[in-house]
Amino acid sequence: MITFEQVTKRYGERVGLDSVSWHMDEGECVVVAGHSGAGKTSILRLITHEIQPTSGVVRVGTFRGGRLSRSQRALLRRTLGIIYEDFRLLNDRTVFENVALAVHITGRFADHEVIPRVLYALEEVGLQNKQASYPWELSAGEKQRAAIARAIVNRPAVVLADEPTGALEPRSADEVLALLRRIHSEGAALLLVTTRLEVAQALGGRTMFVEDGRLTGEVQPVKSGPGARNADSGSSPGSV
Amino acid sequence: MHFFYVREAWRSFRQHRGLVYTALLSLIAALSVSAGFLLLLHNADHAMRLIGDRREMVVYLKDGVTENQRDAVMQSLQRLYGTATYVSKEQAWEEFSQQVGDPSLLEAVDQNPLPASLRVKLRPELLHFDAMEEAARQVAQFPEVEDVRYGAEWVRRLDELKDRLGRGAIASGILMALAVLFVIYNTIRLSVQTRRGQVEIMSRLGASDRFIATPFAFEAVLQTAVAAVVALGLLFAFQQGVRAQIGGVEFLPWSWALAFVGAAVMLAWVASLYALTRVLRGIGA
Repeated sequence: MITFEQVTKRYGERVGLDSVSWHMDEGECVVVAGHSGAGKTSILRLITHEIQPTSGVVRVGTFRGGRLSRSQRALLRRTLGIIYEDFRLLNDRTVFENVALAVHITGRFADHEVIPRVLYALEEVGLQNKQASYPWELSAGEKQRAAIARAIVNRPAVVLADEPTGALEPRSADEVLALLRRIHSEGAALLLVTTRLEVAQALGGRTMFVEDGRLTGEVQPVKSGPGARNADSGSSPGSV
Repeated sequence: MHFFYVREAWRSFRQHRGLVYTALLSLIAALSVSAGFLLLLHNADHAMRLIGDRREMVVYLKDGVTENQRDAVMQSLQRLYGTATYVSKEQAWEEFSQQVGDPSLLEAVDQNPLPASLRVKLRPELLHFDAMEEAARQVAQFPEVEDVRYGAEWVRRLDELKDRLGRGAIASGILMALAVLFVIYNTIRLSVQTRRGQVEIMSRLGASDRFIATPFAFEAVLQTAVAAVVALGLLFAFQQGVRAQIGGVEFLPWSWALAFVGAAVMLAWVASLYALTRVLRGIGA
């Protein structure tokens, strides 16, 4: 699904990612944990092709790294659902219109087909009663749920979340994490980057640790069954 | 999907009224100047056609030409150059007498000195200096022909004037194109910059350049169409005012007016797509 092969990303003299290799399967849940500036967001931006690797190959589904054309890049992004820490909703549109925009962008649905899809996504995130509200009328938690509805409305194979609970108070953060767990349990692959270890633990997926642009360790998810614990397959730094 | 684009264009129209009105005023100014040129050209062209219709070649016949010879010449002229009308010596004298007016002035002339002639109304394709000169040269070689006159200098000047007007029409077209391109390009650039955040979000959600650009292009086309119609309205008011004062000024025919609006809209579409391609690459989200 997503593969990084010896990917290095430099920003001038500074190294953002240093020869990073990893792979994520379909339907998998992966958390990338690390402190600010460790290189987590670079990983997301490489996947969405906002930036290009200095060397190495990034594969996302059938899209193989290198320099994609603008139209190929747009197609790639339509296969992803992206959630940002700062929500990135359009303030001049209602919640419904924000979510509908993602459907319109695919160009696959007529106007009358958009409505049921949007309503279904809003119902999934519990915002059906806020569909006519504008983002500035919502709480931070509601905004993030609207952003999640926008990310999942086209049923993407993988959802990318960049610190989705970063701007939320604990209760809203728990709600959002529960929502993301549900989306993953329904079949979507989930890649989440965060500075908070408790978020990684709450999601229960494979956790990769990033420090100074390198992958420094990996923790496998909790296995079901009596007495199962996190199985450490690498050198976990313990805290991030 | 098309309804979505129209709705987006309308949303932008409502939300950025200041920018829209500025663009409209600039476009109205540019298109009014171009439409003014067009009105000038149309009236000049109309006047030229009236003058051109009166252009004719006069073929003076020798005195001894028989009726059969005259008919043969007439047939040749009609076949090669245009409609020929015979004016006998007597008709020529009659016309001359009427032009002079005072019969006492003509009493001293004891014999009609005027020759019979054939007046040839030339075919439209021959109504220019080079063709008329060639026709006159060929006709002058007929043995029955005494002389050929067609007002060479006058025709040459008329042709020069027509060429200048043609160049004026091209310059006017280029001026209009440049003005529309300039205004649309800068309006689109400003418009996209104003909504840069929105464009970036759309791009990150996987919107193609076409998806992002179409509402902007719709908006530009709509603004240009409105500006073109307003410019024509202003021109009509101007033409009515001038006609009331000095008369004889015609408004543009419907076909010209429609072509003007169509050309402006086409230009706006091309300009907006060009501008959007450049601006969106600049944003590169």
